[in-house]
Amino acid sequence: MKRMANMTKLFLVALTGISLLLGGCGTKAPTPSEAPKAQKLKVALVIPSTIDDLAWSQSMYEALKKNDKIELVVSERMGKPVDASAAIRQYATQGYDIIIAHGAQYYGILKEITPEFPKITFAYGTGAQSGPNIFAYEPQAQEGAYLMGLMAGKMSKSKIVGIVGPVEAGDAIKYNRGFQQGVLAANANVKLRIAYTGSFGDLVKAAEIAKTHMDAGADILTGSSQQVPGAIKAAAGKPGTYWLSTDMDQSSIAPDTVLAFQTYNWEKIVAKMIELRKSGTIGGQTMSLSFADGTLELKYNPKLVDKIPQDVKDAVEKAKKDIASGALKIDISK
Amino acid sequence: MGDMAGQGIALGILATGIRLATPYLLAALGELFTQRSGIYNLGLEGVMLMGAFTGFFVTLTSGSPYIGLAAAMVVGAGMGLIMGLVSITLKAEQGISGIGLFMLGWGLSGLFYRLYVGGITNINGLEPVAIPVLSSIPFLGPALFSHTIVVYLAFLLVPVCWVVLFKTKWGLKVRAVGTTPQAADTLGVSVNLIRYQCLILGSMMAGLAGAALTVGNTHMFADNITAGRGFIAVALVYFGRWSPWGILAGALLFSMADSAQLWVQVLGINFPYELAVILPYVVTIIALAMTFGRIWAPAALGKPYERGARG
Repeated sequence: MKRMANMTKLFLVALTGISLLLGGCGTKAPTPSEAPKAQKLKVALVIPSTIDDLAWSQSMYEALKKNDKIELVVSERMGKPVDASAAIRQYATQGYDIIIAHGAQYYGILKEITPEFPKITFAYGTGAQSGPNIFAYEPQAQEGAYLMGLMAGKMSKSKIVGIVGPVEAGDAIKYNRGFQQGVLAANANVKLRIAYTGSFGDLVKAAEIAKTHMDAGADILTGSSQQVPGAIKAAAGKPGTYWLSTDMDQSSIAPDTVLAFQTYNWEKIVAKMIELRKSGTIGGQTMSLSFADGTLELKYNPKLVDKIPQDVKDAVEKAKKDIASGALKIDISK
Repeated sequence: MGDMAGQGIALGILATGIRLATPYLLAALGELFTQRSGIYNLGLEGVMLMGAFTGFFVTLTSGSPYIGLAAAMVVGAGMGLIMGLVSITLKAEQGISGIGLFMLGWGLSGLFYRLYVGGITNINGLEPVAIPVLSSIPFLGPALFSHTIVVYLAFLLVPVCWVVLFKTKWGLKVRAVGTTPQAADTLGVSVNLIRYQCLILGSMMAGLAGAALTVGNTHMFADNITAGRGFIAVALVYFGRWSPWGILAGALLFSMADSAQLWVQVLGINFPYELAVILPYVVTIIALAMTFGRIWAPAALGKPYERGARG
């Protein structure tokens, strides 16, 4: 009787294991219905959060989706470099042409993996160090941040503005310092306060920091990383508070709160990488995203654009031209 | 003026700390029952995530946050049942099955969110409800008595849990089953039934704790929204020495320290932000380190019960 029970257990476990295995194998290989005219480039994307985080990861994902010359696969929730490393290796052995590790934290593992796959193009960002087959991309987040800092400095009624930061690293450093300079340039009497959650993905903490900023008097907030939707939602809870976004258009969370946003136009960067690879350069370059070549843009929320005074818009336009031409340099060295 | 500002900040820290403590309290009190009966459920984080998603999703589709909260509790209970099947009936190693439950909860909640919701979506969650007379008390009133109902519930459950665990017959059975299950068995108490009940109750409260984050606090959901709070709740049970009051003390200590560090950062006080962020954990560890004497734990914690087995 006991032996029967044990056998049943074993059978059930084996059955579960096999069905999971089969389910996991899934549809990896695309069905070759018709031979495509031009061979599509196989691109793999590794992201720390999800494709619908309405921030850092989603902006890259949507840019890649728009490119119809590539076949895209995505590995999500690779916040820990260890997990990402396993995914990247797997894609490399499967012969992907370009593997994009979308996060500053991935540089270390790329340094380890890339020498073993010299024919594959790897890319990561925010970062400045490239390699023989590594492209690095660096959004000059401080540029849009400066413009939005200008807006915040000029428009804040309480003269207190707040930043909801993740960790003092990568994109966040550039963004925060650019914003700081913008606020200073607009009005030296406006107080800028910065608080960090200590993580890139804690939405609840980000919301709490936003609430604390508002309780302490801030009426214009901003921040970066994939956790800001939490903060934006919290800001929306207090009418009269505005949010300034980066990464992409986040106004869908709070159409009456998000005043303006800096968009990262990854499409051009990706296109450039593909071009370079086709012409034989598989790495070794650092690509900047900036206002000068249109890879960074500042857009106003059409719903709230009338709330922005004309003199603010003019100041932003002028500063934008100066940044694009190089006349205005934003110091991010603290 | 400075005095007024100082008061405002202190009250702000108090109000935020109370709000932050809620999910920890609910989840830890639930885990208290589970552990008192002899099971440790490390999958609390997964249960919270499923509760967070269910509460969010049902509120979204039904329009009522109360139905959402109830659904979160039902789903939590369901996950407790699964954990029970694995740990009590199949007698698996509880640490490992707990982690498995965590991954299940994380994976399923993320999957369902992707399949049925898609992007960042807003819900009509709970709004703060000011308690009529108490919230008019000068200064403390708004800070203590203008919260959502889950916050009030979490704090009210502390004395309730104490009464249930220490003053009722069922509570006695729970404690007996967690300390000397063989003796309880000989006296006719069904060890496994009590453990199932505690697991289901505990997971129900953890589901509510998760929903407190989405329906109660942020009014949205995102992948991994709990960000490790379930594990901290498990630690709080140990910190609280398996007593509801101890858990209350631990949850408040941790959350007040967390709230204080947020304010320290926001006010621009010259303090490295890295230290501010780890402050709550450091404070808790220091408090833990200051223990005198032997620490009591439920003797049968983690050991599946087999009638007639040795030891």
